[in-house]
Amino acid sequence: MGMINNLRRGFAVTLRVMRRTVFGDGLLTTEYPKESRQKPERFHGRHVLNRHPDGIEKCIGCELCAGACPARCIYVRGADNPIDEPVSPGERYGFVYDINMLRCIFCGLCVEACPTEAITMTHLFEMSVTNRDDAIYTKNELLVNPEGIPNHMFTPEQDPMVNLDELKDADGWMRATAPSGRAAYEGIPGWSASAGIGLRPPERGQAGAEVEEDDDD
Amino acid sequence: MADLVKITVDGRQIEVPHGELVIRAAQDHGVYIPRFCWHPRMREVGMCRMCLVEIETPRGTILTTACTTTAAEGMVVHTASDTAKKAQEGILEFLLINHPLDCPVCDKGGECPLQDQTMAFGPGESRFVEEKRHYEKPIPISDLVFLDRERCILCARCTRFADEIAGDPLIEFKDRGNHTSVETFPDLPFSSYFSGNTVQICPVGALTASAYRFKARPWDLLVVESSCSHCTVGCRISVESSQNHVLRFNGVDNGATNQGWLSDKCRFGFEFIGSEQRLRTPLVKVEGEFREASWAEALDVVADRLGAIIEEQGGDAVGGIGGARSTNEDAYAFGKFMRTVVGSNHLDARLDDGLDARFLAAVSPRAKIADLDRAATILVWAPDLKEESGSLYLRVRHAVQERGAKLVVVHPRRTGLDDRATHKLTYRPGEGPALLGELAGGAGDYAKVLETLSLGPVVAVVGRTGLTEQPQLAEEVAAFALSLPDAKVLPFARRSNVFGALDMGVAPTLLPGRAAAGDSEATGHLEAVWGPIPTQAGRDTMGILQGLVDGDLKALVLLGADPVRDVPAAGIARRGMESAEFVVAIDLFLTDSSELADVVFPAEAFGEKEGTITNLEGRVQKVNRVVTGPGQSQADWTILDDISRRLGKPLGFASAEAISKEIADVAPPYGGISWELLEWDAKEGAVVPYGEAGQPVAYRPDGVDREALAAMSRNPESGAFALHLARTLYDDGVLMRNSLSLHALAPGGAVHLHPADAARLGVSEGSLVEVETVDASVRLPAVIDPSLATGVVYVPFNQPGIPSLGSDLSVVVAAGEEVSA
Ligand code: SF4
Ligand code: SF4
Ligand code: SF4
Ligand code: FES
Repeated sequence: MGMINNLRRGFAVTLRVMRRTVFGDGLLTTEYPKESRQKPERFHGRHVLNRHPDGIEKCIGCELCAGACPARCIYVRGADNPIDEPVSPGERYGFVYDINMLRCIFCGLCVEACPTEAITMTHLFEMSVTNRDDAIYTKNELLVNPEGIPNHMFTPEQDPMVNLDELKDADGWMRATAPSGRAAYEGIPGWSASAGIGLRPPERGQAGAEVEEDDDD
Repeated sequence: MADLVKITVDGRQIEVPHGELVIRAAQDHGVYIPRFCWHPRMREVGMCRMCLVEIETPRGTILTTACTTTAAEGMVVHTASDTAKKAQEGILEFLLINHPLDCPVCDKGGECPLQDQTMAFGPGESRFVEEKRHYEKPIPISDLVFLDRERCILCARCTRFADEIAGDPLIEFKDRGNHTSVETFPDLPFSSYFSGNTVQICPVGALTASAYRFKARPWDLLVVESSCSHCTVGCRISVESSQNHVLRFNGVDNGATNQGWLSDKCRFGFEFIGSEQRLRTPLVKVEGEFREASWAEALDVVADRLGAIIEEQGGDAVGGIGGARSTNEDAYAFGKFMRTVVGSNHLDARLDDGLDARFLAAVSPRAKIADLDRAATILVWAPDLKEESGSLYLRVRHAVQERGAKLVVVHPRRTGLDDRATHKLTYRPGEGPALLGELAGGAGDYAKVLETLSLGPVVAVVGRTGLTEQPQLAEEVAAFALSLPDAKVLPFARRSNVFGALDMGVAPTLLPGRAAAGDSEATGHLEAVWGPIPTQAGRDTMGILQGLVDGDLKALVLLGADPVRDVPAAGIARRGMESAEFVVAIDLFLTDSSELADVVFPAEAFGEKEGTITNLEGRVQKVNRVVTGPGQSQADWTILDDISRRLGKPLGFASAEAISKEIADVAPPYGGISWELLEWDAKEGAVVPYGEAGQPVAYRPDGVDREALAAMSRNPESGAFALHLARTLYDDGVLMRNSLSLHALAPGGAVHLHPADAARLGVSEGSLVEVETVDASVRLPAVIDPSLATGVVYVPFNQPGIPSLGSDLSVVVAAGEEVSA
């Protein structure tokens, strides 16, 4: 009995989706690269290093991301913040920050490890290179400008597939869980504002999030 | 072990020595009680309360600190009962009230006892929401150490270390309650030679080292154990590197040597390894200028020119200086190279700052460092140990201060141990022999000293107090010491692996394995492996340099030696090197000496090569490779092997380990010592002579010869002062020069004068004084030093920018012009 019911519920989802894709106008395939579509909220694309709204760098050079990275592809070196012109809040800043994108497995553990939400992953995945050295992103490629956009290997003019706005879409995973994913923090933004972006909206399930229709229920 | 008691820890019965601290007893039996203030090498204070455990008493269970409670028969201890746990959680929550939790930027983060024990024993959550205590972050309390008072949990490890262990009580707690903080005295930095140890033992990141600040995090460090080679104690250290750069040294607790402590010179003296100034390619001098060359080219030049000299004038025209900065394997290769390939007995690892090679290598009975822990009386007639060998200084200090051993210090000036000495004898350099005669006679005031010295067992640390002193004096002192009850002698010289190099036969009078050159049995044994070795008498370092000046010697091989800087008679060293027809140097840097060479080969440094070293008690320990050498640098033995091949007499070494096997074969006292043994079984090192092996020559000085002593005494020329020339911890040696944070700490040139002499000369503190010796004339600021005898000037040796004064006893001192204010 239960099994039949489960089967019915499962196929109901299939039918609902078919109604939209096969019979409706929601196509199954997107004709990438002619067109590209909105990535899922938690998509893991290339990394950026964020800034605080006042422009100061969020990264404090703590190497926790490098320590967490299973691919060992992050190289960070810290240094003393100059007293008159601090690069980041506190005593220390990251003066070298490299990610070898050829080794990265886009797992997002670095994002999870970061205590300052400095390193995040965006929705941009168009990052092919013509030489291995270019796959090593340094602070020059990672650190965002005050508008929240970092240098990218190819500009939209050079590569029509590149949509720089996707660099502002952070992977939503961190927002859903920080800090520590604990219920007690329900309603308290677990995310600090970033330069060029401001406070990101709460994610599904967090207080203040727009209640969406959930297909699967 | 009659006094074992049975106690129960967490339901398990264990047997421990009566009076053992519960925290240590539990740990020895696998139960870890959390702690912050307790340190196994320091007295307990019960300061942090982290080690609270429940102990059953006739009046019910009590909650008490395991680090201050001693084990007694039938004691029942609960370390993890609900009450104990609640107490531990409470303490951690309390300690964290004011802790800033800036772990991501804290150098201790990742190896922090506070982090670890919070995870293991903490409550996980704090009820404290108020603002934390704030202080200025971080403040330098010395040139090498930063203090972050916000992070301090007031465990008093650092203050106790400074007071109890280092004998430099320069930091203390200030204020009370919430405002208590560690402070230095106003205007007085924590300028202890041992300050770095507080960084290592601070259980939080309150004390951090400036040299390591933000350099790396613990999880990206490659940690390899090795033995320090700055002085002759051979302290056990961990060499920690990241991305092929050595970033720090930490002390490792080897009970036989350093017991976990390091002096700052050893802890921070690693910067030279990664210095930009390191040699990276061979250099060949063409028309007075060095030019980078390929290995083949440089080896060709050596083969041509050195080969020609050997061919035309014989091996006897070549001298070899060095080996003290090398491993035993490298020193052995050097000895074999000089004796078999070159065919010369002129080789020496000492740079005229040491003592008779046979005395250093084979004085008997020889003390071990650990004998200091059993000695009733310790005699130190040696250099100021605080300046020359920090770890040995700490061991002597500990024996006297914590165990009540009697201490007699004999030295021309104040030393670091004076405050603990039962008797301190000060003398004028040159008059040491006379003093020894009187002391041995026990006349007058010396009767009391002699009485103290007749409390056995006696350990005598014997060396040369200064560079103007007669080297033979030390042997007479040793002879005197050995006449004391149950006495042993610890011969002291400071240059890193000089004892190892001497054991490897790098001295004109020694063959490998402490055998006397010329001893037919030892020679036969050696020739069976080496082939024929020369028989003519060899020259020591000064003999070699003088021979070069006189033209008796034509060529010189330098192995990690800088005679121009390190030999007190620098003039002869320079002239010798300049007169040599051909000089080949194997070195880390272009030093004042290798500058004068014709060919320089880049060598691998400490941390870049594997091998063994031998310390002053004869303890052999392993040193390990952590990073790769810069550029094309090679190990000493490889370079010597390459040269030998070009000269047509290949040494034929396959690896450093193969050399170590050959050493064990040809040097009986080293028989049975292998790398494998040192790595696995003999973690504290193996003492030579090892196992059943005897010592080929036991050098036992005869009784004190008072006539000889009288003849040995010297006085400065009339009207002149006696010069006391001694080394300081930080100086202008080439390794220090390239360790930037330490080089700045060298005290610099100064002339120390007794107040009476100063008054007579019309000199006041800081005014310029003119000092004239046979070799040089310098003008230096005066320091009034009441610890000197009258008629003595003390000048620290080898200071930046100061020419060497030579080792002549007599100096003429006069007031120079006043310093303009
Ligand atoms: S996403 Fe994963 S693999 Fe890539 S850098 Fe971050 S931690 Fe490393
Ligand atoms: S990105 Fe985050 S985790 Fe990585 S070093 Fe910077 S602050 Fe630390
Ligand atoms: S500075 Fe460190 S060692 Fe000193 S009292 Fe504070 S926590 Fe303890
Ligand atoms: S460890 Fe016992 S009170 Fe600190």
